[in-house]
Amino acid sequence: MRVLRIFAAFTLALLAHLVGMHLFPSFGRVVDLFLVVLVLHALEGNSLSALLVGLCAGLLEDTLTNGPFGLFGFADTAVAYLTARLAQRLVIQRPAGVAGVVAFGSLAQQGTLALLAFLLLPNPSLPDPVGALVQAAGCGIIGMVVYVAFRRWSRVLDVRRRSRVSRLRLE
Amino acid sequence: MDERRTAWLLIVVLVGQLILVAIEGARSSSSVTYAESLGLYLLGPVARVVAATSGSLEGLRGGIRLQRSLLAENRALRQQVEDLRLHLLRLSDVEEEMARLGEAIRYAAPLAGQIRAVDVVYADRTSWLRTLILYTGSQSASIDQPVLSPAGVVGRVVMVAGPYAKVQLVTDRAASVGGMLLRTRRQGLVRGSGQASGGLNLEYMLLQADVRPGDRVVTAGIDGIYPRGIPVGTVVSVEPGGELFHKIRLAPAVDFAKLDQVYLLDHVSVPREIEKAVPGARP
Repeated sequence: MRVLRIFAAFTLALLAHLVGMHLFPSFGRVVDLFLVVLVLHALEGNSLSALLVGLCAGLLEDTLTNGPFGLFGFADTAVAYLTARLAQRLVIQRPAGVAGVVAFGSLAQQGTLALLAFLLLPNPSLPDPVGALVQAAGCGIIGMVVYVAFRRWSRVLDVRRRSRVSRLRLE
Repeated sequence: MDERRTAWLLIVVLVGQLILVAIEGARSSSSVTYAESLGLYLLGPVARVVAATSGSLEGLRGGIRLQRSLLAENRALRQQVEDLRLHLLRLSDVEEEMARLGEAIRYAAPLAGQIRAVDVVYADRTSWLRTLILYTGSQSASIDQPVLSPAGVVGRVVMVAGPYAKVQLVTDRAASVGGMLLRTRRQGLVRGSGQASGGLNLEYMLLQADVRPGDRVVTAGIDGIYPRGIPVGTVVSVEPGGELFHKIRLAPAVDFAKLDQVYLLDHVSVPREIEKAVPGARP
């Protein structure tokens, strides 16, 4: 069930990314939906699951970009693992806190990418600092919106399930 | 799995990917990992469906708008066809004359290639690592094949996975094209600036060279990928750079935001006989 949920989340993120890139050419610069999905998943605190999800998200992004294969894989795996470890130590439930963590994850991802490119590539092209901040803010906002929507949806489902169970008991 | 084992697994995964990136960074353009190829195989159809769906929606919207202005546009197009016919007549005269003159001095004209139209199914032209994914149909593309648009050079194919091909845009910082100023025939190297604006730089142009804003730059045909004479861009600024060379910025000839279909050029940059005699020969 959990695997299916992650798969569905990535499929939705992929579709939204492709449609977004078609409608708004700068969509990819403003928000990284794969990173949002992986950070939100990592906030559950399971580091092994976060590591694997980060790896898959990174390789997916590597396929869609023109850099060396494994660049995003490395960055996303590290970000997902670190977020999961952070979530094990801190309780992050407020939407603003989630936005902050997602934005920080985006900055960490772009910093790692820049560092890797600088160290390993012969002719590195580094990301624009202003663009990095814009993407971090975009990811934070989208992450917060998705988190709030998912929490509300979970609550609604929970209420429905409880009322159904209580009805069954009455009968 | 406990945290300690997970940490070890993380180290293994990260080191593995680091090695992969290091190998990929130093690799030749013709080698592609299986994982990357598989990824493109899986993602290509999804991107194609999304592109087709949004394309047909845009077409529907455009169709309604088009119906309103159809008559006026038809009239304008007829006029344009007449003008172009006249222009073509003049050009065919010039072509014949050129061929006659070329024959007289025994000039070997560069080989002209065949072009075929292919669809763009995914385009990321603004982010840090620019990409274009093409659907080439039953006839696959080949590595290093030039990708063009009616306005000029778009890039070259860097990866092929069945009917899908990944393109490195000329505006990518890692891309370089042999360029030539059309006015003075001076040659240099055009490189992507790697900036979000998507500009180009013309490098290795000596300070003595006469370069002015507005000069047009075309491919020089010296890089073994692009044939000569395809528009690359226009000079927008010329500044004194280091000790020897100008610092020249170009505006690309192609509007990358409007690419929904591009052309693959099938051309032989090095004739087969020469390639056999001198393996790895470049023009």
